[in-house]
Amino acid sequence: MKLINKISILAFITLFAYSCVQDDDYSVPQSVGLEENQKLVQLLSEIENGSADLMSISEVKNLFVIGEVNEIESNLVVKGYVSSSDYTGNFYKEFYMQDDIENPTAGIKVSINQVDSYNQFNVGREVYIKLQGLYVGETNSGDGVIAIGGGGNAAGDEISEISENRASDCILRSSNSFMLVPLALNLSDINDSHIGVYVSALNAQFSAGLDGLTYVDPDEDYDTQRDLESCVDSGTLKLETSAFSNFNDSMLPTESSGTITGIITRDYFGDNRVMMLNTKDDVNFDSSRCDPLFADDFSSNNLNNWTVVNVTGEQEWEITPYGNPAPSAKMSGYSGGNNVNEDWLITNTIDLSSLSTATLNFQSVVRYNGPTLEVYASSDYSGGDPSTDGNWTELSVTLDTDSSSWSSWTDSGNIDLSSYTGGNVYIAFKYVSTSSGSATYEIDNVLVVGE
Amino acid sequence: MHKTRLVLIIILFINFNIFSQAEQQVILSDTINDLSTTNDVVDLFSISLSDDELNDDTSAADNISGLLNSSMDVFYRTAAYEFSSSFFKVRGLDSDNAIVHINGVKMNKLYNGRPQWSNWGGLNDVLRNQELSNGSIPLKYNFGGILGSNNINIRASEYGEGGRITYSSSNRSYSNRLMATYNSGMLEKGWAYSISIGRRWGNEGYQDASFYDSNSAFLSVQKIFNNKHSLNFAAIYAPNRRGKVSPNTQEVYDLKGIKYNEYWGYHDGEKRNSRVKRVVEPILLLNHDWSIDDKSNIETSIGYQFGEMGNSRLDYAGGANPSPAYYQDLPSYFLADTDGPDYEGAYIAQENFINNGQINWNRIYDANLTNNQANLNAAYVLYEDRVDDTQLTINSAYNREINENIKVTASANYRNLVSNNFAEISDMLGGYSYSNIDSFDYLDYNLLSPNSIVSEGDKFKYHYKMNAEEMSLFSMINFSFNKLEFYVAGDITNTTYQRDGIFENEANAGNSAGKGDEISFDGYGVKAGITYKFSGKHILDFNSAYLQKAPSIRNTFTNSRVNHNVVGSDINGLINDSPITEEKIMSFDANYIFRTPIFTGRLTGFYSEVKDANEISFYYADGLVGFEDDSEFIQEILQGIDKKYFGVEFGVEAQIIPTVKLKGAASIGQYTYDNNPYLYLGADNNTVAVGPSNLENYKIAGGPQKAYSVGFEYRDPDYWFIGITSNFFTNTYVDVSPLTRTQNFYLAQDGLPFNDYDISIARELLKQEKFDDYMVVNMIGGKSWKIDDYYVGFFASINNILDQKYRTGGFEQGRNANYQQLLQDTNKPKRVFGPKYWYGRGTNYFLNLYFRF
Repeated sequence: MKLINKISILAFITLFAYSCVQDDDYSVPQSVGLEENQKLVQLLSEIENGSADLMSISEVKNLFVIGEVNEIESNLVVKGYVSSSDYTGNFYKEFYMQDDIENPTAGIKVSINQVDSYNQFNVGREVYIKLQGLYVGETNSGDGVIAIGGGGNAAGDEISEISENRASDCILRSSNSFMLVPLALNLSDINDSHIGVYVSALNAQFSAGLDGLTYVDPDEDYDTQRDLESCVDSGTLKLETSAFSNFNDSMLPTESSGTITGIITRDYFGDNRVMMLNTKDDVNFDSSRCDPLFADDFSSNNLNNWTVVNVTGEQEWEITPYGNPAPSAKMSGYSGGNNVNEDWLITNTIDLSSLSTATLNFQSVVRYNGPTLEVYASSDYSGGDPSTDGNWTELSVTLDTDSSSWSSWTDSGNIDLSSYTGGNVYIAFKYVSTSSGSATYEIDNVLVVGE
Repeated sequence: MHKTRLVLIIILFINFNIFSQAEQQVILSDTINDLSTTNDVVDLFSISLSDDELNDDTSAADNISGLLNSSMDVFYRTAAYEFSSSFFKVRGLDSDNAIVHINGVKMNKLYNGRPQWSNWGGLNDVLRNQELSNGSIPLKYNFGGILGSNNINIRASEYGEGGRITYSSSNRSYSNRLMATYNSGMLEKGWAYSISIGRRWGNEGYQDASFYDSNSAFLSVQKIFNNKHSLNFAAIYAPNRRGKVSPNTQEVYDLKGIKYNEYWGYHDGEKRNSRVKRVVEPILLLNHDWSIDDKSNIETSIGYQFGEMGNSRLDYAGGANPSPAYYQDLPSYFLADTDGPDYEGAYIAQENFINNGQINWNRIYDANLTNNQANLNAAYVLYEDRVDDTQLTINSAYNREINENIKVTASANYRNLVSNNFAEISDMLGGYSYSNIDSFDYLDYNLLSPNSIVSEGDKFKYHYKMNAEEMSLFSMINFSFNKLEFYVAGDITNTTYQRDGIFENEANAGNSAGKGDEISFDGYGVKAGITYKFSGKHILDFNSAYLQKAPSIRNTFTNSRVNHNVVGSDINGLINDSPITEEKIMSFDANYIFRTPIFTGRLTGFYSEVKDANEISFYYADGLVGFEDDSEFIQEILQGIDKKYFGVEFGVEAQIIPTVKLKGAASIGQYTYDNNPYLYLGADNNTVAVGPSNLENYKIAGGPQKAYSVGFEYRDPDYWFIGITSNFFTNTYVDVSPLTRTQNFYLAQDGLPFNDYDISIARELLKQEKFDDYMVVNMIGGKSWKIDDYYVGFFASINNILDQKYRTGGFEQGRNANYQQLLQDTNKPKRVFGPKYWYGRGTNYFLNLYFRF
């Protein structure tokens, strides 16, 4: 009996002793997101009652002064949707956001001292940034990428990152996340207005000669640019990939073409416009390669791909050390004065026999006045004098009309050659000058593609 | 009658005095990096002390005070009660030089040679029957080391009938302790049993969020069949969980104080510690005692221990480093800006660190929830580094008195360990899935199941088994004559280790999965000692030992988580033409023991040498010559280390009047590296031979090398007592980084010395930091009453009354490994990669109430 008493005392004490300490069974904290949400509610009410001004991304970009950093002193707020992701390590301490989920018109960079920000500012997340006390400028002076930052450097020409501590007060997420609809563009339509925007480059492929290479050159410490070209026009774009990305050593998909989706920005020094991928999964090359049927950017410094026919006059088509970029093919009837000329520049045979569609594209620039250049196509030219050899059909193209500038390079537009499929085609540039007028034409990046 | 009671109560006081200094657990965390380590927490009956692992292997606070408190030796008791909170190490030696047995079964782990004190924590009442040997003297079960052996006897018949209930309150490691014990004494038909249960718990010890949650249960049953045979079965079950505490740089302590712990953060208002050590390793023991005749007996023990040990931490494959004290978040980082000090950034970082400065669990959960939305793997998970051991020990010891002068002991030992090591996700933190790929180099952790997606309860990162076997034979002869006693002992041991990889680590492919080579060590040892008694009051005693022993598992495999490599070689063969060998230990001590009516005490001189030891550390280093990238996560292997320990220790007690006793003790030692061991670095399958590390004459870190104590006790005849001691500590050193003492320090990437290398600056940079001397004053008092047949009493102790702030240990971060980087770092307004330190506790208390029936 006595023993039983003792045991029950022990048992009682043990029960009593079973008090709680930190348990190892935790669930998602109730307080997740509360604080940020309260800050956002406060901010939205400020916008509502007019004590804060909501601006568009374009308006914020307009606050940028070239070569300077601009501290925002008034209570401005900008809203955007995150377009980039550092999940794969391709972006570092920055994210981009754009002004809409679909058909965005502007994007901007946010420079933030935070790694792995993707797990907070995920792609498609609606984000409000309180700009008061932040800066608008460039992180690398002259790179052409307008960004929001946390301070300015001593020289006053570059902004610094927003510290993580500060970010928690001024970069506020709403609970909304959306699927961004990438802005679908052909390569030649991509321009600086798309910086920061999530863009699908259509009908793209890696340039020839990149077979067997990886996204990042293993000898590069930071990043590597790989050239993309278009299947449908003369547009090109560089794909830039960081050596710290997790797909740096993946092989480029050089066997195929298709859509590649990423963020448009400029490289470190601002020299080139580039696309950067959020993830390698955004490369969707599901068609076979579309290497051009004819392509000449005249970089070989000769006209070996062409038949040059001088019908009248002394001058003829030649290579010139200017172009878009240099060199290009040039023709002018002017030599000490206007001269009468008729000169043809005719492509070698282009074989369209196994294709169903084909497109011509080139660029031109004109200077001085004279008869307008004409562009023809023929399926039966046999290498003689084109004024008698072959049936030529004039093509409707867009040419440069600004005869006062060397820099007004103009894209021809995509000229349909589908009616020539099933056989050969020849493209000819017919130049004519008179004793009263001889323009100078330069043409470049002549491209015929088809499928 | 009155007199008997007095004696009894004094005995009780003595008992509780032992208790009193109790439970000084300091849970010290492992260090910076991943492949860290276990922390053994000393937690024995009365004293429990930490056994932290600074910078992995070089421990600052690994001591054996748990062994010593039961000693009647003044010095050892002082070391246990007064010195241990300073991480003082007796003779400068690590606890793997001391052997703990329970009922003859060796409890030191094969992994690191150290006893895992928490396996039997909280059972103080039933662990009091102890045999203790000092220094190199063996007990009958095992040859032992050079720092003493003890055997805790838990045979049920050894406990006197009765019970005891104890409640304690403290602000040291736990807040509350309840223990209850009942011993049957000898019952009819030769049965006896003892049961004890205990619980220790608290939300926070002295340091922030160092919670404590431990239950203990004990059962021992004995059947004495006849005067020849008896059987005892015992089971010990002491599951234990506790929150770990971080070491910090001085910058962090300056901003947050010495209680600061970076491992926790608020989770819905509750302090949640990310680093929890969990030990559940029950022990089953079966003993057979056989008295062959009145001159000889055989004791046979079978021990079986199984269970799991886990150390939790956050993994952040898809997120930023969650450490609030991450160097890039501290003011020093902003002050060190290459464009000049960024005062604004530093100010913001400082404000943020002071106001927050803890793990942001909400951000971690938010990251995972955000990733769920985007169908991505979790950014963070909480996981445990698990060691699930199953160990069988068989020991049989034979004793025979050949005649009244000669006694012979022989024993055979067998131990077999299967240790299953892996990382396991314990909490997905709101996420759904996680990747089993290294987020640094994108290599797969397991090629046998590539691109695995893992989640809660899954093993990831690494998985291997370690099989170990140890067999030994030991024999000792004791001669005892009137004035002279001496002994000779010898032992031979074979130890084998074999790693069996379950995962095939991609970075170590071909050298990772499956069984590696069996590694075998043979060791022998001899010991001898002589005692000369001038009289019962003056005794001279000499002991010497030489032993070779296998390096522990941890000092054998250089990176067992991912490959089969052992110290001295990699997949391509030997690195420095010297394969791994046994450690050699030599020890000698001379003791003068005196016992006069007023003075009792001991004076000892000691000298020990350790040769051919190895140490392996893991860390992230910048500025390495010979690797592809100059920043790498590396293993640093130090091979063939020699160390030298010598000094004197003494303890004396003077009973000047019957109520007042004066006490004094001191240990004055010098513990240094004695050679320039070979250093090489490994990172996965890559090995870089560096060369000798110029460590000779550097001090070995690990508590004060000089410690002194004076104090007195007053015992009133009216059943109360009070005692005060003052303790002084000097010569405590930081643990130096061996890599910075190699040629890597002054060579640039091209293998030529730095152009700006200045030898006098270098000397200054490499000077070993010596911590400030300090004094700690401790006080204790208590009282007891007898009520009817029951005894009730209490005692309380207050330690560090003067609230002295002192460093108990620290280590140089290996991160800035070369001259230019170290110079740059030390020239900054505040060092970014300064040493990390541990601090002792400020004023703290322990209160004990007991009831005995």
